[in-house]
Amino acid sequence: MNNGRKIKVLVSVIGLDGHFTGAQIVSRFLMDAGMEVVYLGIYQTPEMIVRAAIDESVDVIGISSHASNYGQIGLLIDLMKKNDLVDVPLICGGTIPKGEAEALIKRGVSKIFPPQSTSESIIEYIVSCARG
Amino acid sequence: MKRETDYGYEIKPVYTPEDIADLDYTKDVGDPGAYPYVRGYHPNGYRNRVWTRRMTAGIGSSKRTNEVLKRYREMGQTQGILVICDRPNAMPIDADHPMGRREAGVLGWHGASLLEFEELMDGIPLTGQSITLLGSSAMSCMRLAYVVALAEKRGMDFREVHGSVTEYPFCSTCGQTDHMPLDLLIKLWMDSSEFIVRNKIHMRSGILSQHFQESGGNNAQALAMEIAQLKELLGLLVNERGLDFDDLSLLPYELVSVGSRFFEEIAKVRALRRMYAKMAKETFKAKTDKACQLLISVHTSGRTMTYQQPLNNIARCAIQTLAGAIAGCTAIDNACLDNAHAEPSAFAARMSLNTQHIVSDETGVTDVTDPLAGSYFVEYLTSRIEEEAYKILKQIEDQGGMTAAVKKGYIHNMMEESARKRQKEIESGERLVVGVNELAIPPEEDDEIPIESVVASDSEEIAERMENWKRKRNIPLLKEAIARVYDDAKKGRNFNLMPSIIEAVKAYGTAGEITGVIRMANGYHYDPLEMIECPFAL
Repeated sequence: MNNGRKIKVLVSVIGLDGHFTGAQIVSRFLMDAGMEVVYLGIYQTPEMIVRAAIDESVDVIGISSHASNYGQIGLLIDLMKKNDLVDVPLICGGTIPKGEAEALIKRGVSKIFPPQSTSESIIEYIVSCARG
Repeated sequence: MKRETDYGYEIKPVYTPEDIADLDYTKDVGDPGAYPYVRGYHPNGYRNRVWTRRMTAGIGSSKRTNEVLKRYREMGQTQGILVICDRPNAMPIDADHPMGRREAGVLGWHGASLLEFEELMDGIPLTGQSITLLGSSAMSCMRLAYVVALAEKRGMDFREVHGSVTEYPFCSTCGQTDHMPLDLLIKLWMDSSEFIVRNKIHMRSGILSQHFQESGGNNAQALAMEIAQLKELLGLLVNERGLDFDDLSLLPYELVSVGSRFFEEIAKVRALRRMYAKMAKETFKAKTDKACQLLISVHTSGRTMTYQQPLNNIARCAIQTLAGAIAGCTAIDNACLDNAHAEPSAFAARMSLNTQHIVSDETGVTDVTDPLAGSYFVEYLTSRIEEEAYKILKQIEDQGGMTAAVKKGYIHNMMEESARKRQKEIESGERLVVGVNELAIPPEEDDEIPIESVVASDSEEIAERMENWKRKRNIPLLKEAIARVYDDAKKGRNFNLMPSIIEAVKAYGTAGEITGVIRMANGYHYDPLEMIECPFAL
């Protein structure tokens, strides 16, 4: 994949959301699939996530969301645009209701994985869209 | 399909008297109301009192949550209220903090001051029903102070209020994740608990396995965790605060997560009663019967609620409610059918409350106490899960007890490993989940359900109101009260901060301010996120 270079994925929980289980499970199976994961953990502001994405030069950003704080994801999208990270796909997963998911996709999120998504579907998607 | 418990015991096709040949009914089980309380604490079970049937509330402004509580009352919830706090409360930071502005009222009630508690309880009696506030350990002292202050304002004795507004310090390990350092959380939890016990307040403190289990732990682990936590925390109150264990008997309550593995869930709760009774008697030398009884509430499991085909969750909720009722408990709150989507809508809340009433009023479950006792399978499972839990408990104790096990990452690793195992079992089809890996339908055909939501402007409104209101307080009085909290917080781990926190709360000091200066006195930054500075000259 990716000319032999490992795909580098930033995985984070955003804002004041403290639910880390999903992010940790996803991080683990991405690593098992041969990807490099930059796991930021909880209490990451959009500013911190963008900073880390630039410093670590990641190919994909994944946000695990279980606290209904979609405003924070919106701010992250704005900041990514401002910082020229338009070629880095932003993927979200978690308890995001359909209406919110549609609004986030419209705003610039590449893909939203609802709860109970399989690891296979997430891995496949990342392989297909990660920037080269 | 796997035929084994979630903790890996392979289930046989049939159970016979041989499986429980070692069990001595009088010694190991006993009648309801008799030690070791496997069958519950009351000979008459629910005939004395049906469990409290309640729903979680908490979204948007305090006024909006107040309206929800009143609506629940109209729906038939009269025995108790249960309010969950928002994420800024778990830091704790105030709504007007740069991060608070973005999330105040989003995932719960923003109860950062006495003013918000007054608004929450407007037109709602403090007595005659249980008052339960959940959502973070760091807010325990604050919430207890709200109750004391509001009772006083209403001209009543705060000892008349019952319910639970304080919470165990280990929730920060288990997915709830407070931002306060663990040692400080433990200190503040001891302060609130000691205040409750010494003043004989009818308030429980939540020492829960629910967060752990909802974040991935299995049934046996949850049981071990619960006993390990109780042992550690009650031990601290005895050893560091000099309290008598028998006086502590009215303090703890457990919120156990009940999922769909029907018989296992029932066995878990029965085993918990026996394990607690034994610990009380053998470890703490309890003298009274009451001190051997752990109050147990049930939360039907949120993580079993699927995003796909959400109406299927009504069936899950009913099965879990029945399991909780049969297991024997004092209250049940449900994760609603929309749990994987949003906070409970009025539609989902009514469904849950009705489900509980269908179970209590139509099935006959309240007629007979512990109806599954004597079942070869259930008695065997009760003993089996206890055995597994004791093994895990020993491992936790080998780490040096609960606090040490948390600090070493042991608890966290156990939880993560269990969550991963479950994910793999579902993906491989070893465990079936209807609508997910069995009988799935295309997303566009999925059930439409109403979604309860807050918008960014709601948080901003809460923040703006707080900013303006803060300036209108009696500033000299507030400064004096805050300074006292700060000075007292420097007097060491066992100097109780409740009296000074109550005074500061009465002066309308906020969560961010009061816990901020307590943090500073203990050598931490005023702001857990280190974005703002302390506004007081101390």
